[in-house]
Amino acid sequence: MGRETLQKKTAGGILLKLQNRKLLDKSTTIINYASIFFMTVALVILLAPIVVRGLGAYIFRGTIEHRKVIFEQFQRGRPEILQNELDQVQMARQPVFDMLKSFETELDEMEGRESREMNNQLKELKGLLRELYGVLPGERDPILLRKQYGKTRWKDAREVFHQIMQAEKWDYSDPQHSRLVRFPRRDVFQGTSLEPLFDYLPLKFRETMRPRLVFYLHFLLDESKDAHFFGGIFPEILGTVYLTLFAILFAVPFGVIAAVYLAEFAGDTRFVSLLRSFINTLAGVPSIVFGLFGLAFFINTVKLSETKSVLVGGATLALLVLPTIIRASEEAILAVPREYKEASLSMGASQLRTIVSVILPAALPGILTGIIISMGRAAGETAPIIFTAAVSVGKPLKLLETFSQPTPALPWNIYNLCTEHEAVDSIRHVQFGMVFTLIAVVLTLNITAIFLRARILKKLRG
Amino acid sequence: MKDSLIISKRANRLRRLASLLANGGLLTVTSLSMIIVIFIILFIARDALPFFKLEGFKEFFTSTSWYPAGDPPQFGAMAIFYGSLMVTLGASMVAVPLGIFAAVCLSDVLPFQVKQVVKPVIEILAALPSVAYGFFALVILAPIMQTRGPRLFGIAAWVALVPAALLAAYFLRGFVDSRIRNEKFRKATRNITFVMAIFGFFVIISRISSFFSGLTVVSGTNALNVSLILGIMALPTIVSVSEDALNSVGRELRENSYALGATRAETVFKVVIPAASSGIVAAVILGVMRAIGETMVVWMASGNSSQIPQPFYNFLSPVRTLTATIAGDMGEAAHVQGAPRYHVLFAMALALLLISFVSNLISEWAVKRSRKKLRGESS
Amino acid sequence: MKVIATLIMFVFMFAGNGFAGEKQLSLDGSTTVGPIAKAFAEYFMKNDPNLNISVSESGSGNGAKSLISGNCHIGCMSRPMKDKEFKMAVENNVTPTPHVIALDGIAIVVHPSNPAKALKMEQVKEIYLGKISNWKELGGPDMKIVVVSRDSNSGTFETFNKLVMNKGNVVNTAETVGSNGAVRSRVQSTRAAIGYVGLGFVDNSLKALEIDGVYPSKKTIQTGVYPIARPLYMYTDKYPKMGSLVYQFVTFYLTKDGQQLVEEIGFIPCTSY
Repeated sequence: MGRETLQKKTAGGILLKLQNRKLLDKSTTIINYASIFFMTVALVILLAPIVVRGLGAYIFRGTIEHRKVIFEQFQRGRPEILQNELDQVQMARQPVFDMLKSFETELDEMEGRESREMNNQLKELKGLLRELYGVLPGERDPILLRKQYGKTRWKDAREVFHQIMQAEKWDYSDPQHSRLVRFPRRDVFQGTSLEPLFDYLPLKFRETMRPRLVFYLHFLLDESKDAHFFGGIFPEILGTVYLTLFAILFAVPFGVIAAVYLAEFAGDTRFVSLLRSFINTLAGVPSIVFGLFGLAFFINTVKLSETKSVLVGGATLALLVLPTIIRASEEAILAVPREYKEASLSMGASQLRTIVSVILPAALPGILTGIIISMGRAAGETAPIIFTAAVSVGKPLKLLETFSQPTPALPWNIYNLCTEHEAVDSIRHVQFGMVFTLIAVVLTLNITAIFLRARILKKLRG
Repeated sequence: MKDSLIISKRANRLRRLASLLANGGLLTVTSLSMIIVIFIILFIARDALPFFKLEGFKEFFTSTSWYPAGDPPQFGAMAIFYGSLMVTLGASMVAVPLGIFAAVCLSDVLPFQVKQVVKPVIEILAALPSVAYGFFALVILAPIMQTRGPRLFGIAAWVALVPAALLAAYFLRGFVDSRIRNEKFRKATRNITFVMAIFGFFVIISRISSFFSGLTVVSGTNALNVSLILGIMALPTIVSVSEDALNSVGRELRENSYALGATRAETVFKVVIPAASSGIVAAVILGVMRAIGETMVVWMASGNSSQIPQPFYNFLSPVRTLTATIAGDMGEAAHVQGAPRYHVLFAMALALLLISFVSNLISEWAVKRSRKKLRGESS
Repeated sequence: MKVIATLIMFVFMFAGNGFAGEKQLSLDGSTTVGPIAKAFAEYFMKNDPNLNISVSESGSGNGAKSLISGNCHIGCMSRPMKDKEFKMAVENNVTPTPHVIALDGIAIVVHPSNPAKALKMEQVKEIYLGKISNWKELGGPDMKIVVVSRDSNSGTFETFNKLVMNKGNVVNTAETVGSNGAVRSRVQSTRAAIGYVGLGFVDNSLKALEIDGVYPSKKTIQTGVYPIARPLYMYTDKYPKMGSLVYQFVTFYLTKDGQQLVEEIGFIPCTSY
């Protein structure tokens, strides 16, 4: 009896164990796929809102106010067409202004508490209308650009329109749960000459704004006006281009030469492995420490420039990307087939000649890949340029000025616009546009590098 | 013609001198990296030491009162160190398991074609600028966490735990199956166990899920937000370096294991990973270093609250990290030197440098060890 | 290779006349004064396209330091210079000269859903000290108060510290953010939050509270009735030479346009123009 049971148990035992093992195997495979899936989903979640809303900075429904800004501030557009539209818009808006005026005369005749109350309501309504239309007639011309024009984006204009039609008030009667109460604004102005406004606006609102699809590609080329309320992001883009170029100009010579040394001349001595260790260490230094060092060394000690400047920023970024260039170049040089080198040497060329004329050209695609990836990195880094090169507002620099002056740059201004700016919510589309542009630039650089690398692999295999 | 092939002694000497000079010149240029690193240490240390001379070590490392502008100023940075540690740990909890499983998938599971599609995904994740991640964390993730956070946690609990529950119930059924001797009862009992187990687990999961849904997220800029984003930033590093390590283990070891009858999961987890362990350790350290040294994401989305969360594991509380403190409190010319407020930031930078050096050394040692091991094993 | 060449050509297109007498002015400092500085800069640059005025907003402390070390022409500060900074300036042969370009009130703001309307100065101090930690202690909803403060590099923080905290330390559970704009973002999205911002940053998404019965407005600040009022400074090194660009910039606030700009941004002009 005992043996029988033992046998059955063992047989049952092994079989089940195999089942379990197979199950474990399948489930780990599922987990494996799940983690890749999670990464892909994360990437999509990261990029989707940025791409969608970032494109909204370039392609959107713009109102007549937008066309006004483009014409008056940037001198683009045809004056006759614009004037025609402006006349039509004025016709559509005039009833609104007339109603306001007659209400104001009525207000003069009111007195006491009712007058104060109505006055406050009128102020609120006028504020909203100012957001929509810019200056109301009879008012002093504002100097701030953002007050001279109404809403330039149709989506924002529609939101203000809803705010005009539906007033909001907080109901504090229950201190534990305050509620937002919405009521039609016309109730406030019932019986006055402003009441017909709330019939007129829903019908004619579109005519007062005249929205049209806009392909604002000049977002890339226009300067920003009035702290990014209007205009584009050209100074930032130019600043990023300058910084990247300077970084590469500084880092590539040193990096490639170092790679040549490590690949061709260096032995396996302790000093060389120490050197490699240091290069790895440099790669691991946090980016903010580079920024501090750039400030302490380039600006305060060496005095490369008196103040923040693109030169110093580029030098600091060069330190950041140096290890990447050294690594990529060394790999590229090592990947050149030995036959090339041996053939060149056997023909009597000196080592230096071989390197310059044979190996480097052969390794060039690989080196270029490394350079392009470093460009992407340099363009996107913020911490090294906070103290060394970046300002929030500035004009696009001319080349000779970059040696002594700071510049706005995409990464820093993204940070600046979404935290420090005085009207963060009104310029969301600019923030998204900037992030989208930066990501587009960096990804383009990286995809170019990937293609280059694929071509090299094909060449080496084929 | 005759003497063009025979080099004169003088020419020879000149040639050797030139070559020596070239060698030396190249060496100097290469040593630039070393010089830079040394300079960085020097400059940071030079401006950090005065702080310790003035204020001493005790307060910096043990006090949580961070009031550099106070009267009198207090420089207790313990909460800031804790904050850095907390987000790094959080990031590792996200990135390490995911990263290793993903690396395994890439090296052992996926066919070549699919790999070509997945690799770009990882490279894109690695190439995105940190300020874009920070922007996402602040503008998109933080508001969602604040308004819909608890519900999302509840859903996440379901998504994560249901498969585990199914698996566990299945195992339980198998276990019961193997214990019952009586043929008649076996099928019935095991199915009943399965159903009851599922039921029981579902009850537990819904309790857990409603606990999460019941939390209030007071602030969307907190340690959890930052940990998630930092984890995603560290993932590509961990995945690619681990994958390299796993690939370098070689086919022989794997084939031996399969030949002995092991399943793929057992081969990977009991044979390949231990063989590549040093490389994986190096990968994890590199990924963690990225998380510690990251500035923009934490500056924008961590809340910057200089406190140790109550209770200490509360990831929903805002924290402050070393990097964000340096970025936020700094930004000036080297004046007001002598003021501890200026030097304390360099002290933090020094701490960051030391941490990154030590991690680097450990990861290099790990890589060297893995190389030696593999060489030893394959020979 | 071609790509790099085209890029270099692109850049050289902007080499232009970098040397030709383009005038340059750099400002650095407070995030409160920042919007005013930016608006002034744009006004000047619109009237004279040869100007290049750059504005950095890294905090009042940094404004002082930049001015002292000669890194900027004008240091914007939302607090007066401290003794230590004066000493440092003198040691560097810099004579900081203040120009008050606008007035400001630090408004204590909460989320619009918060039923609170008025607080006493003492209560604000206790909230920031951490002694009052729940809104229900003030008659509001049962929610933990989310305290939002500025980091130590901020002039707004220093003024708040001096006028309200009066040597007390802000509780360490407070969230610190880097600018007025960030305080506004935090408070407008968090029902239980309380923060302080310069008056120019208050808009419909926030609710400013009465402090000791006084609501921050142009009248109450100009007459000094509002208790947390302060002047906004632009510091230069010695009084700028008459007619120079720096002189025009720091006296712009005296003109009608300058005062109007200050008011449009939301701050208080120093005079009634």
